[in-house]
Amino acid sequence: MRGTAVMAQLSETASTDSERELELYFGPQHLGMVGNFSITLKVRGDRVLKATANPGYLHRGFEKLMEQRTWIQNFPLVCRVNVIEPDSMEWVYARAVEKLTGIEVPERAHYIRSIFLELARVASHLFGLWAYSNMLGFDTPAQWAMYHRDLVLDLFEELTGGRVYHIYIWPGGVRRDFPKGFKERVVETLHSIGRCVPDYDSTFFNNRLFYERARGIGGISQQEAKALGATGQVLRATGMKFDIRKVEPYAAYDKVDWEVPTREDGDAYSRIWVVRDEMIESVHMIFKLLDAMPEGEVFNRGPNPFKWEIPRGETYVRCESSRGELGLYLVSDGGDKPYRVHFRTPSYPHGLTILEKALEGASIADVGNTMISLYVVAPEIDR
Amino acid sequence: MDRNQIAKWLKSPAKMANKYSLHAVYFCTGCGIIEIPPVITTRWDAERFGVLPVATPRQGNLFMITGYVSLKTLRAIIRTYEQMPDPKYTVGFGSCPINGGMYWDSYNTIKHLDKYIPVDGWIAGCMPRPEAVFIGVTHLWTLIDKGKADGYLRYKKNYAAYRRNQEMILRDIEWPPLYPVESKAEEVSV
Amino acid sequence: MISSLQEDLESKFKDVEVRVLEQNRISVLVPGDSIPVILRYLKESGLNHLALISCVDWIEQEKLEVVYVLTSYMPNDTEHGPEQRLHVLLKTRIPREDAQVKSAIAVFENAEPYERELHELYGVNFEGHPRLIPLFLEREYEIPPFRKDFDMRKYVEDTFGSIPSVDG
Repeated sequence: MRGTAVMAQLSETASTDSERELELYFGPQHLGMVGNFSITLKVRGDRVLKATANPGYLHRGFEKLMEQRTWIQNFPLVCRVNVIEPDSMEWVYARAVEKLTGIEVPERAHYIRSIFLELARVASHLFGLWAYSNMLGFDTPAQWAMYHRDLVLDLFEELTGGRVYHIYIWPGGVRRDFPKGFKERVVETLHSIGRCVPDYDSTFFNNRLFYERARGIGGISQQEAKALGATGQVLRATGMKFDIRKVEPYAAYDKVDWEVPTREDGDAYSRIWVVRDEMIESVHMIFKLLDAMPEGEVFNRGPNPFKWEIPRGETYVRCESSRGELGLYLVSDGGDKPYRVHFRTPSYPHGLTILEKALEGASIADVGNTMISLYVVAPEIDR
Repeated sequence: MDRNQIAKWLKSPAKMANKYSLHAVYFCTGCGIIEIPPVITTRWDAERFGVLPVATPRQGNLFMITGYVSLKTLRAIIRTYEQMPDPKYTVGFGSCPINGGMYWDSYNTIKHLDKYIPVDGWIAGCMPRPEAVFIGVTHLWTLIDKGKADGYLRYKKNYAAYRRNQEMILRDIEWPPLYPVESKAEEVSV
Repeated sequence: MISSLQEDLESKFKDVEVRVLEQNRISVLVPGDSIPVILRYLKESGLNHLALISCVDWIEQEKLEVVYVLTSYMPNDTEHGPEQRLHVLLKTRIPREDAQVKSAIAVFENAEPYERELHELYGVNFEGHPRLIPLFLEREYEIPPFRKDFDMRKYVEDTFGSIPSVDG
């Protein structure tokens, strides 16, 4: 009798265990989390009922820090907003200062800036490929991607002196011209990466397991993407050809022929394919820009930067970084420090509103998959 | 292997095995994390130094704090550090844990990491190169040999001071003290 | 496109001040109560992408200026045109002491985190927001930290400098 009473008690808890609601932390210390970000998941069994994003682990009060430093002192600081691709931040800040002061940029500097930004895009996408294929369990293409990214960082080190933070784009041009033989080394490095594309395809992109694990996961429709402020590959994977390099061209992007890659379905599988197509398009674009580059100066010297005072005004500048639309709202009151700086970063809507919507009804195993395919970069959200 | 190494292995095999298998807890605390994937993948290959990332702090004995530490992150760091088993070593990576670095005047980042958890060594730079990580690891080996990498012993000895600093900066801590903290005699009500 | 937008706004709403900042950027200054109406009007005229909600602290005039940056996506899968380059910076000025604005969530769903951030960093209250809880900050400050009268360096010295180091 006692045995059956105990059995009844056990089976009672067993049936309620799977109905019990638990709160799990996909927290900052997690093997699948790239960057210091946390998601609180309310789960029942294996299904997520509600996901809440917790940013704030990397908040430095960036915009307030920039108000306390002069215009020239902000240049080493502004690239640290996003650590994976710091160059688009430099471009956006330099362009906003150029718009307020009216400094002109020579033609060759526009080409060099485009080549530089495209190399940064290739490096950033390779980092994203490392994170994503590691998350899905494909360790080999992850190691290859990180190795190829290191070859691109060698090029950056030769050109600017730093592997990660470059501080290369100034208002008025770029800091220095290409060293001798740099163009040949760029072509050689990109060819050596390009020769491995069939290997990447057969190991990862055309792999049946990748198809099974990523198809239909974290999908959003084009209507939802437009309503929630998506840009970048999250929007291009739903079919819309929205790329700021075409919509509002800057630097030398309107001087070469290139196409915007898109896919139709809006799920994780489509987003990663858009990333792959963008990388290949960037490499072709770099070759065309290197061929078409004119000779000339690379830097228009402006007024003395140590005593610089930017005239009153405000502006909003945007560019296409590797994750989407990166914008800067800059207000100057005529002094030697910025009055208000506000970065519109692409991971802000992706990581806070779209992530919470895409995770409803997902299983716990797909949380990391969705998060990394949306390419949520935590320091950009918190600034 | 030279005779010196063989003698060391025979004399204290546990210390040598500990030294050559520092398993790092995988926690991306700040912007220094961008140089950790190159360090643990094929080009710079930290595994030939014995350094490997592990999933949970219960399995790790090296904690690299890569980059600046905000207040929310400090909570997570203290909890992670207290979960690691002894002996454990902490390395501050980058200029920001040393004295605040680039964000010395930010209201949300802490300025000196060794006021809150014990730190065995620092690697300076913004970013430090991957070679600097390996130099740091070899220095840590020398410290372990001489018995000077005693952060975890200092934590136990001075726990009252560390806990007081943690409470001063974080204001309310929801986890109990790791080691017993004696209450002062005059606070006991009669 | 810009001149017709300027005429439409000035004829349909009162107290509207339109200024052209540069090519493709115009700023529209309106009183705080007309924000939801004008946002809906602009969204229906094609500006359906809310890029940013920002705030500027004009401490000398004792006003906080909330700025909405609006631009447009392409309709469905068509090609892009010059109207995708137009940006409207919709602004309103509210008093610093009692900063209240109606929330834009009913018009633009992605306004939710921007308003939470401005609430904790500037102290602006958004009426009608479902979840006005802290986003980034770990604690409450007496003065919202991004306002101009919050002395950051003195705060850092008082809080972090007063913690003694651990010897031994």
